[in-house]
Order: sequence, then C-alpha cells, then structure tokens
Amino acid sequence: MEQTCQKSSVNAAAVEKNKKDDVRQRCERLHKNIAEIQYQRHSMGIDVYDDFMRYQESEHRQQLEKQQKYDAKQLMKFQERMDIHLGGHFEFVDKPTKHFKFEFIPNGGGNPFHNLEKSSVLQEARTFNETPINPRKCSHILTKVLYLINQGEQIGTTEATETFFAMTKLFQAKDPILRRLVYLGIKEMSKIAQDVIIVTSSLMKDMTGKEDQFRGPAIRALCSITDNTMLQSIERYMKQAIVDKVHAVSSAALVSSLHLSKGSQEVVKRWVNEAQEAVSSDNIMVQYHALGLLYHIRKNDKLAVTKLVSKFSKHSLKSPYAYCLLIRIASKLMEEEDAGSESPMFDFIESCLRHKSEIVIYEAAHAIVNLKNTTAKELASAVPVLQLFCSSPKPTLRFAAIRTLNKVAMKHPAAVTACNLELENLITDSNRSIATLAITTLLKTGNESSVDRLMKQISSFMNEISDEFKIVVVQAIQSLCLKFPRKHNVLMNFLAGMLRDEGGFDYKKAICDSIITIIEENPEAKEAGLAHLCEFIEDCEHTVLATRILHLLGREGPRTPTPSKYIRFIYNRVILEQAPVRAAAVTALAKFGAHCEELLPSCVVLLERCLLDTDDEVRDRATFYVNVLKQTQKALNSTYILNGLQVSVVGLERSLHHYTLEPSAEPFDMKSVPLETQPMVEQKTVREPGETVSAKPSEKVAASRQDIYAEQLGAIPEFANLGSLFKSSSLPIELTESETEYVVQCVKHTFSRYMVLQFDCTNTLNDQILENVTVQMDGAEGFDVLKTIPCPSLPYNKPGTTYTLVRLPEDPQLVTGTFTCVLKFIVKDCDPNTGEPDEEGYEDEYVLEDLEVTVADHVQRVMKPNFSASWEEVGPENELEDTYALSTMKSLEEAVKQIIQFMGMQPCERSDKIPEGKSSHSLFLAGVYRGGHDALVRAKMAMTEGGVTMQLTVRSTDPNVSEVLATAIG
Amino acid sequence: MGLFSKLASLLGIKKKEANVLFVGLDNSGKTTIINKLKPEDAQQHDVVPTVGFTVEKFKNKSLSFTAFDMSGQGRYRNLWEHYFKECHGIVFVIDSTDKLRFAVAKEELSMLLDHNEIKRKRIPILFFANKMDLRDSVSSVKLSSMLKLEDIENKPWHICSSNGLTGEGLSEGTEWLSREMESAIKQQN
Ligand SMILES: Nc1nc2c(ncn2[C@@H]2O[C@H](COP(=O)(O)OP(=O)(O)OP(=O)(O)O)[C@@H](O)[C@H]2O)c(=O)[nH]1
Ligand SMILES: [Mg+2]
Repeated sequence: MEQTCQKSSVNAAAVEKNKKDDVRQRCERLHKNIAEIQYQRHSMGIDVYDDFMRYQESEHRQQLEKQQKYDAKQLMKFQERMDIHLGGHFEFVDKPTKHFKFEFIPNGGGNPFHNLEKSSVLQEARTFNETPINPRKCSHILTKVLYLINQGEQIGTTEATETFFAMTKLFQAKDPILRRLVYLGIKEMSKIAQDVIIVTSSLMKDMTGKEDQFRGPAIRALCSITDNTMLQSIERYMKQAIVDKVHAVSSAALVSSLHLSKGSQEVVKRWVNEAQEAVSSDNIMVQYHALGLLYHIRKNDKLAVTKLVSKFSKHSLKSPYAYCLLIRIASKLMEEEDAGSESPMFDFIESCLRHKSEIVIYEAAHAIVNLKNTTAKELASAVPVLQLFCSSPKPTLRFAAIRTLNKVAMKHPAAVTACNLELENLITDSNRSIATLAITTLLKTGNESSVDRLMKQISSFMNEISDEFKIVVVQAIQSLCLKFPRKHNVLMNFLAGMLRDEGGFDYKKAICDSIITIIEENPEAKEAGLAHLCEFIEDCEHTVLATRILHLLGREGPRTPTPSKYIRFIYNRVILEQAPVRAAAVTALAKFGAHCEELLPSCVVLLERCLLDTDDEVRDRATFYVNVLKQTQKALNSTYILNGLQVSVVGLERSLHHYTLEPSAEPFDMKSVPLETQPMVEQKTVREPGETVSAKPSEKVAASRQDIYAEQLGAIPEFANLGSLFKSSSLPIELTESETEYVVQCVKHTFSRYMVLQFDCTNTLNDQILENVTVQMDGAEGFDVLKTIPCPSLPYNKPGTTYTLVRLPEDPQLVTGTFTCVLKFIVKDCDPNTGEPDEEGYEDEYVLEDLEVTVADHVQRVMKPNFSASWEEVGPENELEDTYALSTMKSLEEAVKQIIQFMGMQPCERSDKIPEGKSSHSLFLAGVYRGGHDALVRAKMAMTEGGVTMQLTVRSTDPNVSEVLATAIG
Repeated sequence: MGLFSKLASLLGIKKKEANVLFVGLDNSGKTTIINKLKPEDAQQHDVVPTVGFTVEKFKNKSLSFTAFDMSGQGRYRNLWEHYFKECHGIVFVIDSTDKLRFAVAKEELSMLLDHNEIKRKRIPILFFANKMDLRDSVSSVKLSSMLKLEDIENKPWHICSSNGLTGEGLSEGTEWLSREMESAIKQQN
C-alpha cells in the first residue's frame, strides 16, 4: 500500500514536471505566434497604407501599437493564470482563419471520468452480455455510459440500441446498486434507443415485486418507455401504485403520471380518485406530488381549479411544498382573471405570509410582488417580509429576496427603496451572486450620482462571478445608459472592458446587444460604441456576432464624420476570417464605397481583391458590388447596396416557387412579390435585468402575419386571380361594441386593383345558430362591391369568416371612402344545451359601424436604412411640397405620431424619436404605394405658439401617388 | 471466448449456471411453465402476457438456470435474437391445441434455427408440447412430425408433453436439457 503511495507521488512529480515543460513550450510557441501575427498585421497595414490610405499613417501606427500592447497584456494575463492553475494545461488552437486562440483546459480536478471516450465506453458496455455478470464491473461501466449521456454526448440510434439491449441482460443480477443504475440507464436511453419496450415486463415485475427500493425507480423507468398504446396495459398497476402505502412508490407513481399526461391526458384523467386519496397522505412529498397531479388533471377547467384552491386553502395542508404550489396556482388564477386584492385568492396568498415555514412565506411574498395589479397597498404586506429575508443569516433566503426585489425594481421602485439599507449591506456580501443582484438593484433605482460608486464596487469582483450574473450586470448598465444618457462614457467604457474579458457567447452577445442599443438610443455614444465594437471583432470567435457588427458598421460607419477609420477593421476581417464573416465584411465595404465618394476608389480596390476569394458567396458579392459601384450612379447604389431587398423572404420564396411551377415567357417580376411588412410599433423591449435570458425570440425567418393571410386568401378560389396581396391592415377594426350579441372585426386586404374585406364574426348567443352570414357594404363613391363569400354557419362561440370583394376606383386620385356595413344572416333558434337547431329559420340583419378606407390602406411600410440615398434615388421629378398649420397638435411627438398613422409609412433613421428639448424636427417616412411605386415623405416640423407648423415634401416615382399623399393631410 | 468456457470454468466450484432462452408463440404457456419451475414461495399467482421479456432463476438437481422468458406476440418476436448469443439452451414452447398456428410456430422455429448466432452451434433444443391436459391437444409424436423436428441437423433436440399448470412433464424436459448442456460442457473441455 505504502509503496504504491510513494510510487504515485513520484509519478505526480514527474507529471508536474512534464506539465511545466509543456507549459513552457506552449508559452514559447505562443510568443512566436504572436510575433508572427504582429508581423502579418504589420505587413498588412503597410499594404493598406501603400494602396490607399496615405493620410492615415499616424493613426494607423497608433492603432498598431495599441494592438501590440493589447496582445502583450493578453499574453501576460494568460501566463499568470498558467502559474495559478498548474493543475491544467493550455490547449493552443491555431486556426488558419484566426490569429490565435488558446483555451485553458483543467485536468478535471480528480474527476475519474475525465477524458472518457464514447466509442471505447460503448465497446466496454459489451461486457454486459457476458455471463455470469460481474455487478461491480458492470456498475462502473454503466456509470460511464450515463456520465457520457449526461455530458451531452450524442449517441446514434444503432449504437444506443446495441448498448440498451446489452444493458437489459443486467436484469439477471440481483445486485441493488446495479439494478438502480439500470433503471437510470433505461430512462436516459429511452429516447435514443429503439424497441425499448423490451423491458416492460421486467419493470412491471419489479414495480409489483417485494423489493421496495426497486419499486419507485422501476415505475419511473417504466413510464419513460411507455407510449400511449401501452398505457392501458399498465393502468391498473399505476392506480395501485399511486395509493401505495410506501411513500417513495406513491411519489414515483404520481410524478410519473404527470409526465405521462403530457402524452395522453385522457388516461391519466381516470386516475383522479387515486390522486385525490394521495393528497391526504401524511407524507409531505406525496402530498405535494399528488396536488401537482390533481391540478394538472384539472388545469383547463377554471372552475374546478378555483374549487381546488379554496378547498385546500381551508383544509390546511401539511406539506409546505404543496402550499407553495397552491400559492402559484392561486396567483395564476388571479392573473387570468385580472383580479386585484379583492379576490379571495389574494386573501389566501396574503394569509400565507404568516405561515410558519419560510419557504411558504417567501413564495407568498414573491407572488404578491409579481402580481400584475399589485399596488402600494398590497406591497405593504409583502415587502417587509423580503426586507427581513435580506438580512437573514441564510444565504438562500437572502438570495431569494434580493432576486425578487431585483426583478421588480423597475416596476415598484418604492418597494425597493424601502429596503435600501438592507441592500447597501448586501453589496459586500461574501456570496457574489447576492452582491451582484444587490448592486444592480440599487443601480436601477438609484440616482445619477450613485452610479460611479456602484460601478466601482462591481468592478472589484466582476471576474469572480459567473456569466449568468455578468449578463445581469450588462443589462443593468444598459438600462442605466438609457436612463442617464450623460453617463454613457463611464458605462460604455465599462462595457468595453467586459468585452475584452473572457466569457461565453451569451455574455458577449448581451454586451454587444447593449452597446448596439445604446448607440441607437443615444447618437452621442455612437462613435465610441462603434470603436469598441471594432476592437471586439478584431478577436471575436463568434461568427454571429462578427457578422452582426459588420452589418452595423456598414450601416452606421459611412455616416460618421470619419468613415475611413472603419475600413481597416473591416478589411482585416476579409483577410483573417471564415467565409460568412468575409461575406459580411465585403458587404460592409461596399456600403462605404456607395455612400462616401472619397472612399470609393479605395473600396473598389479592396473589393477587387476579393474577386478571387475561395468562397462562392464572398466572390459573388464582391463581383456584384464592384460592378455596381463602378457605374457610379446614386440610384443604383441606393437600390442595390444601401437599401437592399424590401420583399418578404417568405413571400419571395412562394412567388419563385409559383413561377417555376407555371413557366411563362415573361421574366420574373420582383414587383409581384409582397413587401416585407414592418411591425407597427417597434417591439423593442428593453429586457428587464434578471429576466431569464433563455427566452430569446426565435431568430428564424418566420412567416409574417401578412404571409399567413396571403396563404389563406390564396386558398379561396374566388380570390385566386386578384394578383399578389399588397397589404393587410395591421390591427383588426372592431365593427361592433364589446359585449354585443355578435362580434365583428374587419381586416382590410389591399391588392393592386381590388380590396378584400375580411369580417371575422363571433356569435355570442348560445340559443342561436346563424347561417349564410354576409356583410352588405354600401355608400362609398367609386368603389364597386363585386362579390361576397358568405360564412355558411356560425354556431355559438365558434368564430367564422365572411369576405366581401371590392373593386377600387379607376380614378387614381380617388382612394378613400366610407362604407356603411350591415351584417345579414338567417337565424335558427336552437337548444342551448345540445346545440340542436330548429328546422326553420328566418332572415335578420344587424347594423355595424361604418368602415373607412384610408390613404394608409394603399401604402406599405418599407424600411430604408439609408433615407437620403433613397431620396436622391427617387429624385425631384414628381416632388410636391406644401406647408400646413396643425393647430390641434399640442406637441411634436403628437404630430409625428399622427402623421405616421395617416400616411401608413415607415419612419426611417429613427426620425420618429424626437431628441429632448427640441422645438423643431424632421420626420422621414418611406413606403411603397399600391402598384409598386416608391414613396418618400419628408416632414419638417416646428413648434409654434399656435400649434405645429409643418412643411411636407413628397417624392414618388408616380405623380398620382405624390398627389394622393400630399393631400392625405388636410 | 468459447461459448461454454465461462460455464466450464465454474465446474465444481458452485452449481453450474446456464442461460436458457424460452421462446414460442404468445399464449403457449412459457411464463406459466417458468413460474411452475420456480421455488414455490417465489411463484406468482396470476400470469399475464409478457411484454418484452423477463429474467427468472430456478434450479434443478444439477444446474442453476437463468431463464429469459421472451414475449411471443408477433411484434416482439424479432427481439428474440438480441438474446441468442449468450444462451446455452433453448426451450421452445408450443400450445398443442393451437392447431391453426402450428404453421406459424414452424415458421418461427425455422427462422430461429437459421439465425447466424444459432445455425452453427450445437445448442440443445427442448420442445414442450404444452397444455396436454386439454382434450383437443395433439400428441407430442404427432406434433414433432408436423413441425418436422427430425429435419433438425447438428443439434440435439427432445420433445415432451407438458402441463404448465400442474407441472407435469416439466422435470422430464429439464432433466434432458441439463444433461445435454452438461455434456456440451464436457465436450468443450
Ligand atoms: N389448460 C392449460 N392452460 C395453460 C397451460 N399452460 C399455460 N396455460 C394458460 O395459457 C395462457 C397463456 O399462458 P402464458 O404463460 O401467459 O403464455 P406465454 O407463452 O408466456 O405468452 P406470451 O407471454 O404472450 O408470449 C394462460 O392463461 C395460462 O393459464 C397448460 O398446460 N394447460
Ligand atoms: Mg409470457
């Protein structure tokens, strides 16, 4: 024994030495590499200099020096860390497309499963087939398999199935440890292996067997392999298990039922009596799980849930967990009913503040603070509880309390300021998560003067907290920046510092998002922000972020006072990065060339170097841009480089598909493709710090609402030859008051010469069925009603749709009108219970509100990222100008809002935002008019004593369109 | 590693162990027979159709059996093969009243015999002509000719009538099987 000990320590020393040598070698290589990189950079810099940037020499050298310093600092930092962590080693990754990248790889700190290899582990798993079974050995191997799966290792179906069947042989062994590992194995592999039902009988035997310690886990495993078709055959056993006197068995059965019910609500519903019985168990776990199942079974029946809460809130449950669940159910109910403190649910939740268990008290306080309709009155009872918890000796309670306060800091600042004293104490909490939350909470509610102090405090331990909390800090900084624009310097520098530090993708993304948001909100921060981002992409391993930043540089860079300084950063990407980034860089370069005349020759030279790129996309883009740029035509630059594609991607795909299906001699017409719809209100939600970051919006190209409408309308034969859908009105227009017998909403769909009015109707009378429902429209001059598509039947509470087709007036200037609308239908009375209608019906009608067709219905919003380029592109040919006095408008904001609504056009260049304290403002609007004519509007507004005066200039590719738009306001 | 080397290595140390695979169509009585072979206190009262398989253990005078009781239902029969490799003996149970499905049983048997893992090995096969107590049951002799058992090459086989409910005929069968498996072991040595 001793001998082996000694031996191993000798070994350890040798290993240590090896490691040190290794590190030294790596350091040397690193030095060499960095030198090489710098040389590369340098020569590249000279290159760039020689070719086209003479005047930039000094700045360029500075940049290089800065970069060198930065590289040296990085190196030192890594060396330091090497010394600290001799328990690991550096992996040097030298990617051809990157300058350098090295990762610290720890040895796994005594983790025996470190360095496991999938194929060899699966090979080992064949041991399971051998007889007799060696339980110890097999347990060890099975643990490895489980470890791999839990590490996210992907195992193919064939491999998994082979291993799974080998594992089934382990059922011969009675060894309890091995058996329980087998249960785990079954659960883990149930989704990746085939024919897993092979263990059904074996598990059922264990589930009903004498060994109590097998029964619970066997139930869990069984439910993981059972699908709907098999469920019936185990139903009897599940029911018995739910009410089993062994708590672990009952709990396992309850939780498994909950999982099963995701697949088949129906079968599990039949177990409600058993669940009911289990709720009265005296075991706290069983009671909690039973309540969970019971709620799950009933959760779609609001009345039943209400009953459930009121029953158990009186019954005094034993389990604090069950109480917590009940509180959650109650607050969800309140949420759904939009209830306030008058609700009996609220009384229950509040009463829980006086429960003896801390977890229940916290849950209640948390619920109250987060209620939608919470006011100061309700908070008064909950906040003192959180305040108390903030100074609890238990870190979990402190954490829970501060996290809750952090989340509601923006919504209820008063509640949080009440706890300021406690929060200040938490700033120095030894638990860094608590300290971070405390500081960011204070940042949210504090005033400008406290920012510096708190930021300093945070930076003292920034490198000790996890990425997740760093993101909390980033978000706090972002909202601070928006709150105190004057502080942007301090805050932006802080963000830039974070950007330089180590961190995962989510963290880096959060920082970039924040910088971009700040740039967009605060023009003064733009240059500094762009500079930081430029520095970041110099060494950024995340393609997504690099392309995003390049896109931003292409959009914003050309319009800064010194656009030339961004070129070097962008061109570096072309040289050093992988294809997607190179492509993005090429596009960004082209934008500089298109916007800045003085940079055009240089940009063309640079782009020409990309003509021989190895990647198709990069090459194609470069070729295209070079050719467009060489034409030196503003209009071309605007259409093809600066303002890009305006059509909806989904629509384009559909149109092209259609075109290929029905070949025609005519070339494909881009005008036939529906335009990309811009969201009405900008949906920028400034994310609340502390909110879950995981709830990211999906970044895929989704079909927009209009794409969906287009598909629905296309399916109606009568509308098949109207051409492509130009615009659907964004919000449905209510044609009835709320809570009337019939509810009718209208959506207007504009085609190039027609309009389809879609009426979505609901019948709220349970003793009537409406049939042959139509809307009769009259009264608008020049508009011809051509056709109605009735809704055949409108039973109680099942929405139905009828359409009316209208031909738009021939006169291009006549575009607005008002229709009177009447809902016409045949009523059949029916039995409210069975819905069985009478044979005979009678005709009836119902008068609806008038429906207006406005100018906005003929215009589709289109985003022009570079408005001035488009303005030049369209030119003054059909320009109309007029001055208006808008006496009813009390502010510039109001005027801007009204005009956007009137015109139905897209504000560009963020001109819908009016800088604070300004008394004059220019609004830029862009859109496409029905028929595919570009339309641009510039509205110069000034605040005067008598309201707002406005000079409106309209440009369009069609004189009639200019006329219509210019007279829209009047 | 030879098929019986593990088995052989245990000779004389402890009661020899053998893996036996129970196959046959559904409802033929496999689970019932195994249940009867188990010690009385471990026997189950109600036998339900098997889904997949279960493992059971029982002993006779000379051997310790690990029985893999496979499900006989059509959709699970293709899973038998996962357990061929390690078995030292096969028990094929036939419901001797289920005349309609004799052809199916014969088909399954020939697929089994033809399987790569079984084909070249001298694995003893025991046939139980089960449910002998029922009036319309076919005798073991008749059954053996209907299934063309005499065509089986290179494998020792034996058929006996059995009653899974009372246990009649079971010991005769298992005695034969253990003798065969033991002699296979001897041959190996
Ligand atoms: N009369 C009689 N009935 C028997 C005999 N053996 C089994 N049974 C009955 O036959 C039915 C099926 O028996 P099981 O043991 O479940 O059949 P199995 O071969 O295991 O069926 P699967 O598991 O579906 O493959 C049960 O109802 C038994 O009681 C027997 O010798 N005589
Ligand atoms: Mg069976």
